[in-house]
Amino acid sequence: MASQVIKVQTVCRNIIAVARNYTEHAKELGNPVPKENPLVFGKPVSSIITEGEIQIPHGWKELHHEVELGVVIGKPGKFIKPENAMDHVMGYVLVLDMTARSIQQELKKQGYPWFLAKGFDTSCPISDFIPKSAVKDVHNLNLKLTVNGITKQNGNTKDMIFKVPDLLSYISNYFKLEYGDLILTGTPSGVSGVKHGDIIEASLDDLAKIKFPVVENEK
Amino acid sequence: MNDQEPKIDLKSICKNIIGIGKNYKDPLKEHVPTDEDPFIFAKPTTSLITEGSSIQIPKGWGTIIHEVELGVVIGKRAKFVSEDIAMDHVLGYVLALDMGKSLEFDKYPILLIKGFDTSCPISDFIPKSKINNVNNLNLKLSVNGNTRHDGNTQDLIHKIPKLISYLSNYFTLDYGDLILTGTPAGISTVKHGDVIEASLENLANIKFPVVEIQ
Repeated sequence: MASQVIKVQTVCRNIIAVARNYTEHAKELGNPVPKENPLVFGKPVSSIITEGEIQIPHGWKELHHEVELGVVIGKPGKFIKPENAMDHVMGYVLVLDMTARSIQQELKKQGYPWFLAKGFDTSCPISDFIPKSAVKDVHNLNLKLTVNGITKQNGNTKDMIFKVPDLLSYISNYFKLEYGDLILTGTPSGVSGVKHGDIIEASLDDLAKIKFPVVENEK
Repeated sequence: MNDQEPKIDLKSICKNIIGIGKNYKDPLKEHVPTDEDPFIFAKPTTSLITEGSSIQIPKGWGTIIHEVELGVVIGKRAKFVSEDIAMDHVLGYVLALDMGKSLEFDKYPILLIKGFDTSCPISDFIPKSKINNVNNLNLKLSVNGNTRHDGNTQDLIHKIPKLISYLSNYFTLDYGDLILTGTPAGISTVKHGDVIEASLENLANIKFPVVEIQ
């Protein structure tokens, strides 16, 4: 069997993420749980890093970590039915959806989009690519994150409100899915602040492990 | 005319579309909010279409709204660039329509409102050398022959060097990236069967029919 070395950072042209897709996470931020449709937002591909430091923009002081399962699209499609959705998946990555929470709250208050708070450079650290065949059940994967060795997030993809096939189907109704696209599927509860000097480690079952130090930019 | 200039196919090279909202002076207001941060959002690259394609209203939406904009195409990677050298990072321009579901930003996610497929119709690429003064370009749009937008880039609140500099502080801008710089007044709705035409001076002319997906 040929092993695919997919460099997501190189092939990806779109990142679409889903907010509030785990009940406990929506509750911890005092947000209503989406009932009808997933709450989608975007991150620019310029935010992806595979190594190096997570850089807090100068003056922002703190970011929130959000550990997520990322789904990588292999077969393009539009108006994909949920029962066919997994045919469009070629693999996965472990992702941190880094978020400038206080900037996000301020933007919300002003009636501005979140894009700045979610899309700044280094706000999308990812693991190596995990081929689809390595995952037995995408809805039974442990997501864990520690900050300086202390466990902050410890969840399981079984707690997703909108499961992967429904997410892909919904997203593909409005946005054509292309080869290399990355879909972030939401984060379990336990988000917390990280600042200059902290070290984040995260794992997806025994499939992927990542470690990123956090620094604040000097200018 | 330089026929040696490479043909730029933005749909192939673009990896990032950043849109700027609320960026034209309101003639009814005296205060120009240059001190406020730009209102920024993104459109996925799958939203790009060129002439020959139709603007497709997602099934059931009924109407969508139009905005006509000067698009700036980045030619050289930009990160932490100062305003005075920002224009060195520009490759050229496009005339763009920033189609949207509505102005109900508190009701729907902005990615859905601004990013649905076909929501970013663009003209052919306009090389930088073709434009003498980017701060004096007429932007016009009509629906079924009736003028809706008739503005000029002199009314941009945040000018292009400021936008490139500001964005590059947070996002690395790369070759092929597109910045939509905002729309003059005149937003209205379009529905199935309407035809939109728009122009950027005599530099670009585009025409797109509107259909609703059945």
